[in-house]
Amino acid sequence: MDFNVEIIKNALPLLLAGAGITIEISAISVGLGLAIGCLVSIIRLTQFRLLRYLGNVYVDFIRGTPLLVQIFLVYFALPAIIGQRVDAFFAAISACSINSGAYVAEIFRGGIQSIDKGQMEAGRSLGMSWWQTMRYIILPQAFKRIIPPLGNEFIAMLKDSSLVSVIGFEELTRRGQLIIARTYASFEIWLAVALIYLLMTFVVARLTGVLERRFDTSK
Amino acid sequence: MKNDFIKITGLRKCFGDLEVLKGIDLNVAEQEVVVIIGPSGSGKSTLLRCINYLEEPSGGEVVVDGIPLNGEAHINEVRKEIGMVFQRFNLFPHMTVLENLILAPMKVRGLHKDEAKKLALELLDKVGLAEKADSYPESLSGGQQQRVAIARALCMKPKAMLFDEPTSALDPEMINEVLDVMRSLAKDGMTMVVVTHEMGFAREVGDRVLFVDGGHILEEGTPEEVFNHPKEERTQNFLSKIL
Repeated sequence: MDFNVEIIKNALPLLLAGAGITIEISAISVGLGLAIGCLVSIIRLTQFRLLRYLGNVYVDFIRGTPLLVQIFLVYFALPAIIGQRVDAFFAAISACSINSGAYVAEIFRGGIQSIDKGQMEAGRSLGMSWWQTMRYIILPQAFKRIIPPLGNEFIAMLKDSSLVSVIGFEELTRRGQLIIARTYASFEIWLAVALIYLLMTFVVARLTGVLERRFDTSK
Repeated sequence: MKNDFIKITGLRKCFGDLEVLKGIDLNVAEQEVVVIIGPSGSGKSTLLRCINYLEEPSGGEVVVDGIPLNGEAHINEVRKEIGMVFQRFNLFPHMTVLENLILAPMKVRGLHKDEAKKLALELLDKVGLAEKADSYPESLSGGQQQRVAIARALCMKPKAMLFDEPTSALDPEMINEVLDVMRSLAKDGMTMVVVTHEMGFAREVGDRVLFVDGGHILEEGTPEEVFNHPKEERTQNFLSKIL
């Protein structure tokens, strides 16, 4: 079998641009997912039964259905409801953020619940409100503990975002498919795509490690 | 006759089917030191925790400083006035000792940072830990942590203090440094309710000793009465085991 390095070289600029888009969509999704997840996890810890119930439904639905199906729902089913086409970028971002939000909510909940309940009691017994105690005592401690699982979530999102290629959104995987359609060099291109994903996830894993250590020494 | 600072009538508390407190009546006067003793599982910690509503009573009434404790709105008002010290210290591990002390006075009392710091340093000095202001809790010994916890509670300038087995998690050689701080507080006229197994402390510092068993106050009186002439058989039994 011939291994054509030239093809990879020629395809590289296009693939790297695609990788940029993969990073962009993952970062935006995890960023929005963080906001959603933080909100949902706090809602699920409050006393408001209806909100708590809705939060649980959201998390269960998202975690219990494939991301691919969620992307289809936003891209194909949503237009049928609102009577208007949905832009691929919008569909990709919203599906991925809503998905990420559910996982982040679980990460937050785990982080918050891992904090000894004596901390809440100490805060409350000093006269601070539930929210003040949450904000100044529980959350700062929880944040430190959830850095590693959040890093994992970002890595998972980098890889799972490849699924938005099915709606024609041109991130790294889709770029690879398009180049192969033109060159038939599937081995070279898929190998290059795989290595680019590996490089991205490797860098994120290392960054997470650095962040973890920094938070650990400064307390 | 001094005013009653804490008035408890007919207090009941259930956890599911288990009734832990079965109707407690207790008044604590201003500047009085009440010591609660009794076997584990007797409900003495629960009683203490009902006073500042860390446990919600299932029945009865708790009135603190004239404020009846029956809704969220009053709870924070009352908690501001009652400091609590826990068995396991519950210091905030992500903050320095000083930050532990000034947080609530700033957020709840609205003290300026400089005032709060000044007050905190005075109190740290009082518990003998002024030089530890910038340390993190994990670098302190158990006895030091508990003294910081007491200073943290005092920083809110409470009118009363609750102690929930404050020396039970300590190594024996550290118990006295904590008891000394509590002794000096009592001498300064602080109203205190103390759940403890330290009978020497109860005898020496307590104005009144309560023996709680099975969710009731079985016996109460001066330390002299309860320790030297217990009337109830269960009190005699309990004391014979631990003295």
